[in-house]
Amino acid sequence: MKQILLITDGGSNVGDSPVVAAAQAYAEGITVNVAGIVDEGTIGELGATEIAEIAKAGGGISRIVTSGQLSRTVQMMTRQTIAGSIRQAVNQELRQLFGVENVGALPPSKRSEVVKVMEEMEETMSLSVALLIDASASMKPKLHAVEEAIRDLTLSLQAREGKSQVAVFHYPGSSQDEICVLDSEWTTYASKIGTLFGRIRMKGTTPTGPAILQVVDYIRETCGNISYEPIDAQQSSARSVSNEVRSDYVV
Amino acid sequence: MTTSSDKEMNPLPPGTLLRGKWHGKTYRLEKLIGLGANGQVYLATSNGYRCAVKLGLEAADLQGEANILAALDHAEKKRRRFLLDVDDALIGGREVPFYIMRFVPGVPVNAFLQKHGAQWVGVVGYRLLERLAQLHEAGWVFGDVKSDNVLVGEYGKLELVDYGGMSAIGRSVRQFTEIYDRGYWSAGSRTADAAYDWFSVGMLWLHALDRKRLLHTTKTLLPQNRNTDELMKLVRSHPRLKPLESWLAKAFTGEFEDTRDAAKQWREAVQQSQKSKAQAPGQVPMWMAGLLATAVALSLSVAAVWLFQ
Repeated sequence: MKQILLITDGGSNVGDSPVVAAAQAYAEGITVNVAGIVDEGTIGELGATEIAEIAKAGGGISRIVTSGQLSRTVQMMTRQTIAGSIRQAVNQELRQLFGVENVGALPPSKRSEVVKVMEEMEETMSLSVALLIDASASMKPKLHAVEEAIRDLTLSLQAREGKSQVAVFHYPGSSQDEICVLDSEWTTYASKIGTLFGRIRMKGTTPTGPAILQVVDYIRETCGNISYEPIDAQQSSARSVSNEVRSDYVV
Repeated sequence: MTTSSDKEMNPLPPGTLLRGKWHGKTYRLEKLIGLGANGQVYLATSNGYRCAVKLGLEAADLQGEANILAALDHAEKKRRRFLLDVDDALIGGREVPFYIMRFVPGVPVNAFLQKHGAQWVGVVGYRLLERLAQLHEAGWVFGDVKSDNVLVGEYGKLELVDYGGMSAIGRSVRQFTEIYDRGYWSAGSRTADAAYDWFSVGMLWLHALDRKRLLHTTKTLLPQNRNTDELMKLVRSHPRLKPLESWLAKAFTGEFEDTRDAAKQWREAVQQSQKSKAQAPGQVPMWMAGLLATAVALSLSVAAVWLFQ
C-alpha cells in the first residue's frame, strides 16, 4: 500500500490544482492524506476547504490540528488508511461471496473470524508512506513539530511486522525549476531520518499541486513496476493473485 | 497503535436501553465511565447485574478488542470471564456495535494513592507486576499501562482494564499513551515485548509520585532531548522515588530477566527502603503517632467522665 501524507498550513498558490494532482495520485493507486496545522488563528476558510478536497480526491482523510497534536494525528491517519483500505477490500469480497453489505452485517461469531484476518493483513501488509512537507515561510515555527511527527511515525511503522518505509520531501525547492526536494529516500529506520530541515531556506510560494505530482513520479519510479513489460498483463495477474489470497482468507 | 479518537459520538443518557440484535439480551446504560480510543464505556445493568459496555462506531475495531478478551478468557480459564457478550443495537436509527464485559470495581492507581497514601505503592506495584507476568507468560503485552487502566480495590487488590488494547508479543503495540510510551522517551521500539510494559510501569510510578515535575519536564524538553537520563534525574531528586532508583533504572532500560524477576526485585527494593526508613533515628511512623494520640484522647475523656460524674 502506498500513501502520500501532505502536511501544510494553508492554501496552495502556484501551479496546477492540488485537488487534481491528488486525484491523479489516487488513480495510480496512491492514497493521499492531509494534515493541516493551525497554531494561531485559523487556517482560513479557503485553506480548510482545499485541505478537505485534496484528501477527498486522494481517497484519504484530512485533519486540521495544532502542532502539539500532529504526531498522534499523523499516526492515526496512516493507521486508519490502512485499516480502511483493507476493510474496503474485505467488504467487497463479502458482498460477492455472501451478499452481505459489510463486516458489521455478519453475526458476531463470523465477524470475529473475519476481523482476525483483517488485523493480520493490517499488521503484515507492506507500506510506503511519502511525507510531503509544506516549507513555505509561515510553516517555519511548526517544523520542529513536523520533524517530531515524522520520527514518531517511523518508529511506529518500524514496529510492524510487514515491511514499512518512509520517504520525506519538502517544497518549494530553492531554485525556480525545483518544485520539491527529496530530504530522505525510502528508509525503515527512524534514526536514519535525523534532522531534516535545518538547512531549508523558507520561501513564500506554495506549489502544492506540482509537488504532489512530483512525489507521485518518485513513487512510481521507485516502487512501481521496475520492468516495463506489458503493463496490462502484469496488472491483471497482480489483481488475480491478490483476489485469490483474499478469498482464501475470507472463506 | 490507536492514539486518539476522531469519530465523535455523543454520550448516551442514563437509562438508554441496548437491545442486542443477535443474542437478544437487553442492557440498561447507567453511567459513562470512560472514553476509550475508539468508543465509550458505560456502567450498565442487565437483570439486576452490573456489567460494563463498550460501544463504538466501527464494528471491526470493537470485534478486534472482543477477540483479544475472548483469547484471554480462553488462556485463563480459572477466573471469571471478562467477555460476556458481543452484539449490535439500534440507537437513534443507527446500528451500533457493542460488547459486554464483567464490571471491575476499583479506582485508578493515582486516586487510590491520593486517598490511602503512598505507603501502598509497594503492594500495588507488586500485584501489578505479578498480573503483567501472567499476561507475558501467556504471550501478551498489555501496552497501555497507565493510571486509568490500573484499578485498585480494597487493600491494594488490583485488576487491569482495557485489555482490548493488548498486543501479541512480537507485534506492534496496538494502543499506548504518549508519556508512558517507551518510543516517546527514545528508550526503544514500539514492538510489543515484556520490557515495553516494564517501562510503562516505571512511568506509572513517576507519574503517581512526582506528577507535577514530570509534566513540566514533558512540556519543556525538546523532543530530541527526551531520554531516560532526564527521567532518572527526576527519580534521584525525589524522596519517595530515590529508594526505588535502581529498580526504575532497570525498568527504563529493560534489564530484568523476566517479569517475575522484575516483581521480585520490586519487592526487595520496597522492603529495603522501608528498613532504612525504620532505622532512621527519631522517626515515629504516622500510624503509631496516631495510635498514641487516640489513646491519650481516649483516656482523657474517660478521666473527664469519671471526674465529672
